[in-house]
Amino acid sequence: MTGGRPCAVCMYYTRRERCHWPTLKEEFFKGMCQRVLVLVAFDVDALCACKILQYLFQCDHILYTIVPVSGREDFERAFVAHSEGIRHVILVNCGATDDIIEMLQPEDNITFFVCDSHRPVDVHNIYNQVQVKLLMRPDELHDVPQFDEVFSDDDEEPEEADDVCEEPEEADDDSGNDSDTSGPVRKKKRVDEQTLEKEREKRLWREARNKRIFEYTEFSGFGTSAALLMFEIAWKMSKDTNDLLWLAILGVTSQYANRQVERDKYIEDIGQLQSHVSRLNNRSEDDSENIISVNCLKITFESELQLTMYRHWSLFESLCHSDYTFCKFKMWSMKGKKRLHEFLADMGLPLVQCRQRFAAMDMSLKETVKDMISKQTEKYSIDEQKLFLPSFHVQFGFKNKFCAMDAVLACEAMLESVSANLTPSDNFLKAGDVLNRSKTECMEKALSQAKMQLQAIVHQVQTFIDMKHQVICAGPFLYAFVTEGTPDASFFSKPTCLCHLAQFTLDAYSTMSHNKRAQNLPLVLGAPQDADLGTMLVVGVPPASDTSRKNFFGKAFEQAAITSNTQMMQDNFDSNVIMLKMDDKSKFFDALISLLQ
Amino acid sequence: MFGEKALELVKELQRSKTGTISAINEDVMRQVLEEMRALFEQNQRDVTLALAGEQLLFSAIQIRHSALERNKRCLLAYLAGRLNYVRETRWQFGSVLPAEVKQNLSEPELQWFNKYSKCLANYMSSIGGHGGLDLTQDVKPPKTLYIEVRCLTDHGEFETQDGSIVLLKKNSQHFMLRSECEHLVRQGFLEHIVH
Repeated sequence: MTGGRPCAVCMYYTRRERCHWPTLKEEFFKGMCQRVLVLVAFDVDALCACKILQYLFQCDHILYTIVPVSGREDFERAFVAHSEGIRHVILVNCGATDDIIEMLQPEDNITFFVCDSHRPVDVHNIYNQVQVKLLMRPDELHDVPQFDEVFSDDDEEPEEADDVCEEPEEADDDSGNDSDTSGPVRKKKRVDEQTLEKEREKRLWREARNKRIFEYTEFSGFGTSAALLMFEIAWKMSKDTNDLLWLAILGVTSQYANRQVERDKYIEDIGQLQSHVSRLNNRSEDDSENIISVNCLKITFESELQLTMYRHWSLFESLCHSDYTFCKFKMWSMKGKKRLHEFLADMGLPLVQCRQRFAAMDMSLKETVKDMISKQTEKYSIDEQKLFLPSFHVQFGFKNKFCAMDAVLACEAMLESVSANLTPSDNFLKAGDVLNRSKTECMEKALSQAKMQLQAIVHQVQTFIDMKHQVICAGPFLYAFVTEGTPDASFFSKPTCLCHLAQFTLDAYSTMSHNKRAQNLPLVLGAPQDADLGTMLVVGVPPASDTSRKNFFGKAFEQAAITSNTQMMQDNFDSNVIMLKMDDKSKFFDALISLLQ
Repeated sequence: MFGEKALELVKELQRSKTGTISAINEDVMRQVLEEMRALFEQNQRDVTLALAGEQLLFSAIQIRHSALERNKRCLLAYLAGRLNYVRETRWQFGSVLPAEVKQNLSEPELQWFNKYSKCLANYMSSIGGHGGLDLTQDVKPPKTLYIEVRCLTDHGEFETQDGSIVLLKKNSQHFMLRSECEHLVRQGFLEHIVH
């Protein structure tokens, strides 16, 4: 029986290659008027994927309910509240890393379609072919333990109870697959050699399994963006439009902006998107008959300057607040600021022009800024790869021109806006409005919010560097804390913003530090979250020199919490973000240090 | 000048056309009626004199009479305008009047509304087969059968026509049959999302 399983899985993979939409559609229509529940995580990629999905559903008149979920607890709660009478649930950027069936205990007739970029995917989800269907590229699910390695027929629950449970995720087997569960096997009192041998074998097998599962789940990472996958589904259904393409671009860009994927992967995805862009925007300009109206959405591929929001800010401000230039010129010191001025002088850009809004700059300067900068790259040893990024920008009407990176930042800022009277789900809807083309004023507002957020981040990085010994080297990793009562601390109570701060801090620290090793050290950053509850948010980011973007902190935090016996919540879908009690801080960090040594 | 007060009423009606209706202006109405009574009494007096042979009074009588007529027309227009508004409200908000409209209506107007409402309901249940036909829906031809809505408040569970249950929780988004959620949108529980 076990021999047949992997084969079935392979079959499933090949079937999956043609994507699940036909089955998805078929199943929906079978039960006509069956409502579909869509649970969406709080990130830009998920939001874009969800918007694409919404469009597809509307085309086919499939009824749906969309509920944003901010974390694992919220996820469970939303499922319980909305699952009545639901047969199909689509999970967007949530759920893949947990054993869904175990977590939600759904009824047998509910099917889950999981479109999640979080990796690694839980083995139970992979091998449950009945209730869980993964909408993922099959070639991305590499290094998955073989079925025989993690499941076995005589690995029954009662025996497992005897076993010392070390790994929470291997706690029990999924019931969907094992229909042949027999009654409890009583241990025979007569110990003969055969049973001894059998038990020894079983123990070895279990050890091997634990090791294998640990290896598999050690690093967390990200696969292809959910929005891109959704767009591909739309494309295969011949329902792709420029609007959907733009959403897919935003999804992919957000992954790169949050350093979830390596550059090569990003370039690969962008390459794919570019062919779609040229397919959907192929009107030549001098073709007077086919000229499209200015109000239509036009997407253009371009090598984009990696200066944050410079189109909507002044060039000077943007240079001061961009990650790469900030670290390159060491802008935290007076010397660094002088160097920036020198750089601008070398380029021949008058300061007056740089300080005013980019939109109001001299036309001739505006157009040549990119060339001017690239001419100076050698003198200032600027890495062109880091300052220029192949990306897209979109234009509709005369006024609205946004590049993908800025739109992502704006949307993210809206998702994590810190106004006191707004609930997270309000933010989710507002962020959705930002992506809505007819509401450009939302975009403007979001951009100014993103600027505020970025200023707070840069300010905090400056503080970290000005005050010596704020970033502390603990041997295997660096750590720092945002002190309570900092004016901008509220910004850092949100995971994505805190991640940005951590990455920014790490970049700045590793360029500043005399310690050669700083390049190769990861950073753990904590910030106060809720003063009343006394909780803090802790995030771990991989070293600056590491380009693989793999993160081992999820597992490390989990282990540290167990060994130090502290309460922590891994509520966020990103396992490298945890919530901790303020009082447990030192205990937890001692454990983490000893664990990673 | 004659008829000025009456004109004021009509102007007021015109002003309230864009917003909600204002309270019935009984004060001015009474003034208009008094003016009318005065005019009528004077005419009565003059007519008897004129019949007795006073030829010169005829033009004065004529003027007073047209002022009377005009006042009457203005008053009726005022009342009819208000009733029109009430009728439109019935089509827009259903049989339950919003509180801010209700407090501005006079007692006879309320009675009229209830009667009208009953009439309409009776008629609607008598046509279109056994279930009746809700004429207040789809007053304009709808573009789509389904619309996307967003919940503005926690409304609790909502049973759709096919018997399935949708939980209308704040900030969740749903794709629903237009006819089912149209009244919820009007009542302000849901927001229709237009792209």
